[in-house]
Amino acid sequence: MTARGFAILTIVLLVAAAVRLSFGPASDGGALRMSFGVPSVEALGLRGSAVIGAAFVGAALGLAGLALQVLLRNPLAEPFILGVSSGAGFGVALVLAAGYLLAIPAMRFGGEAGGAVVGAVVTLAVVLSLGRSREGHDPTRLVLSGVIVGAIFASATMLVEQMVPHGLRGDLLSWMAGRLPEIPPRESLGLLAAATVLCGLVLARDARAMDVACLSEDEARTSGVDMARLRRRLFLVSGVLAAIAVAYAGPIGFVGLVAPHAARRLVGASHRVVVPASALGGAALLVLAESTRQFIDVGTGRLAIGVITALAGGPAFLWILRRSRWNA
Amino acid sequence: MERMIAATGLCVRFGATKALDDVGFAFPRGALVAVVGPNASGKSTLMRTLAGLVEPDEGSVEVMGLPLARLSIESRAQAIAMVPQRPEVLAPFTAREVVALGRYAAGPSSAAVAAALDAVGLAARADVGCHALSGGERQRVAVARALAQVGEGSVLILDEPMAGVDPAEVARMVQVLRDRAKTGAVLVTLHDAGLARAFATHALVLSRGRLVAAGDASETLTPEILSSAYGHPMEIRGGWIAPRLPPQR
Repeated sequence: MTARGFAILTIVLLVAAAVRLSFGPASDGGALRMSFGVPSVEALGLRGSAVIGAAFVGAALGLAGLALQVLLRNPLAEPFILGVSSGAGFGVALVLAAGYLLAIPAMRFGGEAGGAVVGAVVTLAVVLSLGRSREGHDPTRLVLSGVIVGAIFASATMLVEQMVPHGLRGDLLSWMAGRLPEIPPRESLGLLAAATVLCGLVLARDARAMDVACLSEDEARTSGVDMARLRRRLFLVSGVLAAIAVAYAGPIGFVGLVAPHAARRLVGASHRVVVPASALGGAALLVLAESTRQFIDVGTGRLAIGVITALAGGPAFLWILRRSRWNA
Repeated sequence: MERMIAATGLCVRFGATKALDDVGFAFPRGALVAVVGPNASGKSTLMRTLAGLVEPDEGSVEVMGLPLARLSIESRAQAIAMVPQRPEVLAPFTAREVVALGRYAAGPSSAAVAAALDAVGLAARADVGCHALSGGERQRVAVARALAQVGEGSVLILDEPMAGVDPAEVARMVQVLRDRAKTGAVLVTLHDAGLARAFATHALVLSRGRLVAAGDASETLTPEILSSAYGHPMEIRGGWIAPRLPPQR
């Protein structure tokens, strides 16, 4: 089951990547045109950046969703639903606006990532505290808290967007719908890749503890897992992963929900395999969404990637909500 | 005789409520201890305190002569295993995988896992997903996980393992607990004082967080002591201790 599951995820990733590399907008003397077939070296570079960016953002979101589901003992947890993406987005919007108004180009990605991390961690802390009842974290209360806090931060981001000059406003709007840069600064792609790999390794090291954490709290603690320490690590890892993905590509929803569930279906329940499978699944899903959007022209350009993941992920959320199980 | 588990002056407060008030006892190796008492008498709090899940406000717990508070989390996990009132398995693990999780602190052992599954009669269902098992079977998986966790010669704590379990399952559970108690100590909370008297070697009777009696089961689980603990007359009917029922109208 495990090998077959990894093979399926790998094939989806490779096929989606091949489609994206063969079909998409290519730079042609400053203008954009659609092309299909063997791409030029220049087009291959642009499309390759989009594919690599999508793969790492997807992997980061898949891992963030998995970490949040274990942290909160909630199969519905993921950065977008819990408002973490919106919080990170607000952090990025503030940094972008400040950078633009103060004309500080050095604030670009490093500053955006910093703003995203602060926004994500603060939001997560607020949602966790609001979602806590006397008996612990109530799944419904958590999701509702996340939705409300996310809506507040999304509104605050729109307020920032209304206050900034026209040029930046357009940038912010397209970023808020999810946007994978085709010409990303090398350091931003590097930071995204390094953070994803590092956080993935932390989760892989904690895989057995995460397995035990899927028992009741009392069973996990008496089995020898230091739950307080595990929670701190999962909290930080999920916050950093969600933040770095949002800083790079905007708040993209539902990948963090669907990837871990797909991983469990395909490779089993052990986190030794679910951690890499969630990363691979997230990468495959986002590259697939990035490829799919190339075929949907909405007049002003290709459909935003966040719209595709929301259209596909929304029904998945409802399905998991109905089943309310970890192997949905 | 070696003291397997002992408590001295245990006090646990939740705000203004005293869940445990000056509870003390000691049980030897081989003890199968029934912990009985009415609802909210402090049974679960006592079990969680003995397992190291609740820090007592006063008093201490000793396991095999060692202070529980000074044991590392790993050493504690190899000395004491606990089955809580409501075991959970969130992810879609099989029964075998759940039992193997019990080996987190001690290290993997397929032999220990197989023996534990066999002891609870689930060897044939080992590779079935926990979500597909019945409530009674899931309870047995939780017991098997605890058995695999600590091995022989250790302390096993079970909070209401017989709740909602049919008579055949109860009989099997009793046998499992008796077998394990031979080399270590088993503490089990029960609502059925008659069942407790039928299979336990020792007993603890609690009421409103205070210890009413502790000692040999035959001397502790008497109608007089239980009547005082439950605040309701208890009597022996057909060799079984049970609450006195109102006359039929």
